Amino acid sequence: MTLPDLFNETAIESEKAWLAQKQAAPMPAKLAAFVAVPRFVSRRPVPQQPDWTMDRLARVLLLTAIPADDEAAYVKAIETLFDTAEMQELAALYTALPYLAFPQKWHFRATEAVRSNMGPVFDAIAFGNPYPAQYFTEAAWNQLVLKCIFNDKPITRIHGLLDRANATLAHDISEFAHERWAAGRTVPAEVWQLVPRFMNETLLADVKKLLQSPSKADREAARQVCEATDYNAAKQLMYNA
Amino acid sequence: MYIMHCTFSSLPMNPSHAQDEHEVPAQPVAETPVDYMAHIKGMRFFDPHIHMTSRTTDDYQAMADAGIVALIEPAFWLGQPRTGLATFKDYYASLVGWERFRSSQFGIKHYCTIGLNSREANNEALAEEVMELLPLFAYKEGVVGIGEIGFDDQTAAEEKFYRAQLELAKEANLPVQIHTPHRNKKEGTERSMAIALEHGLDPGMVIVDHNNEETVKSVLDRGFWAAFTIYPFTKMGNERMVEVVRQYGPGRIMVNSAADWGISDPLAVPKTAALMVMRGISPDAIRLVTYQNAIDAFAQSGQINEADFATPMLIDQSEKFNGNTILRGGQQPRRDASSLLIK
Repeated sequence: MTLPDLFNETAIESEKAWLAQKQAAPMPAKLAAFVAVPRFVSRRPVPQQPDWTMDRLARVLLLTAIPADDEAAYVKAIETLFDTAEMQELAALYTALPYLAFPQKWHFRATEAVRSNMGPVFDAIAFGNPYPAQYFTEAAWNQLVLKCIFNDKPITRIHGLLDRANATLAHDISEFAHERWAAGRTVPAEVWQLVPRFMNETLLADVKKLLQSPSKADREAARQVCEATDYNAAKQLMYNA
Repeated sequence: MYIMHCTFSSLPMNPSHAQDEHEVPAQPVAETPVDYMAHIKGMRFFDPHIHMTSRTTDDYQAMADAGIVALIEPAFWLGQPRTGLATFKDYYASLVGWERFRSSQFGIKHYCTIGLNSREANNEALAEEVMELLPLFAYKEGVVGIGEIGFDDQTAAEEKFYRAQLELAKEANLPVQIHTPHRNKKEGTERSMAIALEHGLDPGMVIVDHNNEETVKSVLDRGFWAAFTIYPFTKMGNERMVEVVRQYGPGRIMVNSAADWGISDPLAVPKTAALMVMRGISPDAIRLVTYQNAIDAFAQSGQINEADFATPMLIDQSEKFNGNTILRGGQQPRRDASSLLIK
């Protein structure tokens, strides 16, 4: 379903009329409308897209209506919105990244959202958003995944998670697990799905440890690593078990 | 404690909010500890003036525990003048961004007022630039007024930017939160009201802050809202506040803490409510001056939905960010302050 369809399916008449009018308005009015959205579109979930709210969807639709014929003017307009945004506006801007023109221009901004400590802002770039998988450098991608793990957020909601698994990230996850274990803390079992293609002796030792874990989820995660990997010593663990 | 005492007496601080220079700080009086919380159990409070950027997470927790469900953070100075436009911008952005989020983690709804404070209005070149910035923030969600603005030194520059911001408030149809000066308070309060009327503002849209026994009558008579700041040593004490409410009744009166980076008390509103209970002020009157009047005054912005905080706020787990600042990974959000062990 396209974004406009998604909006029209749930919006009431006055919301539809207001948005249509503002999408057609000249630029300054469009930017002011972006700020004013909650006065005209109420904050309620989008039924088919539970991560989004109607006001956020309206904001994304306004952004897609900004003319992209002049790159400098376009970038300046978006940057101004970022610079003066409140929390919900920031979340809307990051949600909109995959729909904006000149996608490479927003790489730095997107990494700023990963650095954010505001939950809704971080979530807007991290979860269900195709932008990071498509445009992040490996370092930025790894930072996104590790920060999720560090903060006990569900990595399974990251778009393209398995496609962008890499050896550095597998190494970092192992290091992180050692640190947590040394502190008497735990690591979410779901992180181990990122390591099967990058197994080595260190990770093998981690998998052995997991197989002995009192947590059923840990043991199951270790078994899945052994099944998914081509690393013989790990496959062997299963035969011996 | 002794060292602290010496430090403060040898380095007298210019107080952040009020100081009536003829007012001598009261000597500490030994009191029997009172479990004041028992008197306000189940009550809800709204603190319409508090500078949370200067307060700790312990304060937020204590405020939530004492029944504060919502607050307003007026834009203010930092204790020293800013030197550039970008720091103003970042400050305003933090009021509608990080601070709003931080507050939400404790189940407290955070609103703010946006404005150029009177002290910094005296740097005219910078103030001109700030005036251009203000409309970008005045229309934001959760911005419930233009404030705190008004007079400090009562200079010509202060008057100029006070007037300009009254025009902005009119244009945006937002309430105004007026800071009244520490020196020449009576005169400054009268002048602030006269200028607001001259600009055609409805006094019902203007909250005159930091009142005392000397200013309250005129403020109420002219139809403005009268806010009182309970701030140790330099402003209203809560015993005096009880008497003001007894004398004038609860109409158009509200209590706040104006807690900031000075020696102040973020629990001033619930403590004052408890004292009112103990001294026989009616529950209805207490509710008006510690909750409802502030909502009625600032809800004229169209930006306050009482449903957002009237029922105990569910702290949205998805909005809980276990980052390396507030809630560390795996830690329960609530810290046991009395425990020796930090896990």
